[in-house]
Amino acid sequence: MIDLGQALIFGVLIGGVYALMATGLSLTFGVMKIVNMAQGAFLITSTYLCFALWQHFGLDPVLAAFLVMLPMAALGLVVYKLVVERLERIDPGLTIVATFALALVAEAFLALIWGPDQRETNPVYSNQAIHLGPLVIPLAQFYAWLLAIVITVALQVAIKRTWLGHAITAASENPEGARLVGVEPARVGAWIFAIATASTAFGGAALSFLYQFTPDTQDFWLGLTLSVVIVGGLGSVPGAFAAGVMLGVTESLTTTYLSVRWATAVPTLLVLVVLTVRPQGLFTRMTRQDVGS
Amino acid sequence: MTPLTWLTPLRRAWIPIAVAALISYPLVSDDIYYQNMLIMTFLLAIGASGWNIMGGYAGYLSLGNSAFIGLGAYTTGILAANEHISPFLGCLVGGLTCAVGAALLSLVTRRTRGMYFVVVTFAALQLLGVVATIWSSLTGGSQGLAMPLPTWSLSYQDWPFYYSLLGLLVVTVAVSAWVRRGKLGLGLFAIQDNEDKAAGLGLRTDLYKMIAFVLSGTFLGIAGGIYAYYVTFLNTAAVFDIITSVLIVLAVLLGGRGTLWGPVLGAFIIAPVSNLTSTGFGGADAGAFRLLLFGGLLGVVAIFLPRGVLPVLQSWWRRLGRGSGRTPALAGPDRSRTAGSVSAVGGDSVDGRDPSPALVVRGLRKSFGGLRAVDGVDLDLGRGQITGLIGPNGSGKTTLFNIIDGTVPTRNGTITLGGRRLERAGRPVRAHAGLARTYQLPRLFANLTVVENLVVPERRFAFGRLWTKRVNSAERERGLGVLDDLGLVAYADSSPTDLSYGQRKLVELAQVLWLDPILVMLDEPAAGISPALSERLAELIRSLRERGVAILLVEHDLAFIAGLCEQVYVMANGAIIANGPVAEISADRTVIDAYLGDSVVPVRSGGQA
Repeated sequence: MIDLGQALIFGVLIGGVYALMATGLSLTFGVMKIVNMAQGAFLITSTYLCFALWQHFGLDPVLAAFLVMLPMAALGLVVYKLVVERLERIDPGLTIVATFALALVAEAFLALIWGPDQRETNPVYSNQAIHLGPLVIPLAQFYAWLLAIVITVALQVAIKRTWLGHAITAASENPEGARLVGVEPARVGAWIFAIATASTAFGGAALSFLYQFTPDTQDFWLGLTLSVVIVGGLGSVPGAFAAGVMLGVTESLTTTYLSVRWATAVPTLLVLVVLTVRPQGLFTRMTRQDVGS
Repeated sequence: MTPLTWLTPLRRAWIPIAVAALISYPLVSDDIYYQNMLIMTFLLAIGASGWNIMGGYAGYLSLGNSAFIGLGAYTTGILAANEHISPFLGCLVGGLTCAVGAALLSLVTRRTRGMYFVVVTFAALQLLGVVATIWSSLTGGSQGLAMPLPTWSLSYQDWPFYYSLLGLLVVTVAVSAWVRRGKLGLGLFAIQDNEDKAAGLGLRTDLYKMIAFVLSGTFLGIAGGIYAYYVTFLNTAAVFDIITSVLIVLAVLLGGRGTLWGPVLGAFIIAPVSNLTSTGFGGADAGAFRLLLFGGLLGVVAIFLPRGVLPVLQSWWRRLGRGSGRTPALAGPDRSRTAGSVSAVGGDSVDGRDPSPALVVRGLRKSFGGLRAVDGVDLDLGRGQITGLIGPNGSGKTTLFNIIDGTVPTRNGTITLGGRRLERAGRPVRAHAGLARTYQLPRLFANLTVVENLVVPERRFAFGRLWTKRVNSAERERGLGVLDDLGLVAYADSSPTDLSYGQRKLVELAQVLWLDPILVMLDEPAAGISPALSERLAELIRSLRERGVAILLVEHDLAFIAGLCEQVYVMANGAIIANGPVAEISADRTVIDAYLGDSVVPVRSGGQA
């Protein structure tokens, strides 16, 4: 019983972090229907940048994320303008290929700069914990989870309350109509892409003190974030959060009751199962856009 | 995609010469370095040609095809280690395993489109890598799996690997050519253009894609088995490496996606480069430099050379003026002759059909969120009857079409076509049962010629038929007859993009009639076309009625409706608010209020068009 409770706590905490890592992807994949195969690479790039700030200036990774956000947003803007915008017009399939190529190039640069060794940041809270009777809540996970909630809520509010948020919703639901009322989908697209890329700063910061990382883990994180977005259902930020928690709990239960090695297979297995039985995702309603299944 | 007609004379001569040169190479040179380089080139070319069947023909990109190498390699390796089966036999089992794996993955993607396929193949590659590592009792896990050592004399060098892979490459390219020239290729290119439309024309798109993906994987799986024997040692990290997938995609994109020889050409460029880098780059950063090189190349090709080398060369050649002559000089929408007999359209007369009503719809309902788009609709359409469906924009007409043809699923209500219940059936089944539909904006397949567009519909799925010619002589003759009636015979072998809007509408109608349907649903057929074409269209519709075909017509042009329809249904807010003869309907007060508004004078029926 204590095992189960502990597994659930770990699962929920890690799940929130997964959702945080996937926020960028649920904006690009979910809202713009662009599969950004560089999500894992953006994430791990943010992680290394946070790592560098922590290593050289002793800056806490979470605080570092607010700085890292800026170059990441700029990177997102450049990638959108140079790659995504022109390829989406020719063939969306090429965007997938090109962003994946970008991920490989980013991985190569990270490996050339920081080498292939495993790295981690360890701020003071990284090995502290709160004890609730027999149950343990690790502080690092808890802070990362809080960060996930804050970022998710902030993004949700931004989408629901701001002009840009409305423009994003409009452009994704009806590009023609949006254009008629003066919202240029291409420009909105650039903004979403920049925000999505910037948001990897926070996921990357959490990653830096929760996991050891190397440049070649980018494709693992890509697979994981794709799983979160697909299981949650495209375009739904709360759905992505629910899916993250579900993945986290399933993984944590698998670790506790089966083996830690099978836990790594959970996200991929889950995505295959979900696409087979409920391709629109677990936490979405079927809407009119989903015709043609 | 056009066949490489300009290459034909060259191809006839050069292909046998190239194959002969490759066959004789090991006999005349004992340079093991180049022999090994060619072995890796063959492996990549097999992978690229296979990938192209799914990625180039059907348009479904995969980033996980190196999984097939891994699956084939491990199957062969495990059979050799545990059962002492020769790897040259074991690799066939490896190919079979890959075929089954590909079929299973196709089931996963059966209900999804385009971009999910990438995710699924990527996930499958990751999953296989993880499983192979965990299941160490079978695969040796991260320790690796040693293959038996070759038993032949050293003086034969790597000939058995060389020749078996060369032979497999020839087979793969031959199969790819066969697919391309057959009905299977026709269907796959149609799927690439518009999968929903293809399904609506009766193509079992799920099976087409499954066969394409199985072919993609099988040959690469066999090659993987041979590769396993060749490298003599398997470890999960190397065999399931995503970089192999990247090289495959890079070779296809560089050479020319969708072409027959592009992937082979690409492989003969990329594999030697890859070979050079793996021997040339040294030190701790070698891996990073390789990643940088191939990631960079892939990005550059995707952004600056998206069509690939071969198609670009081809269009340069055309611009030189030697390969032209495809596009007819005819232009203008109305070079069409006056409407002749349309007997060729739709083939045999349907007089002998059973007398059950063409379409009976009861209680059809569909909500999107809180909006009731279609709210309890009943329809009765007799054979040989033209029925109009009118209503204000947003009243649910197109949604009703989409529900009847299966584009939008619903749980409520029944659809009976010619006595067959269809509300649960998939789109191809509905097309097979005799349901045809055109779109408000015509949707023709740009990858196919006009005559190919006509013959692509399928009344039933037959495996054997997939391997026959794209357009056989009987179909071509019938197709040309139809085009002749439409005055479009000069465009038979051009792309439908060369046609005017109105002409495309006519061709789309002729296309769906190829299904020999019981019911044809036309979504605003007369919108935006010239009066002359609209007249021809009306004539065509009447001739269909004479042959017993039922027609359901959504149209805003009330004169067009009045001139054609015996019966009219009026829709408003998702419900049928009136139905009856045109004269009765146009006098109906509720209809005028709902549809026309107060200020509009009703159109007098009869007499027009």
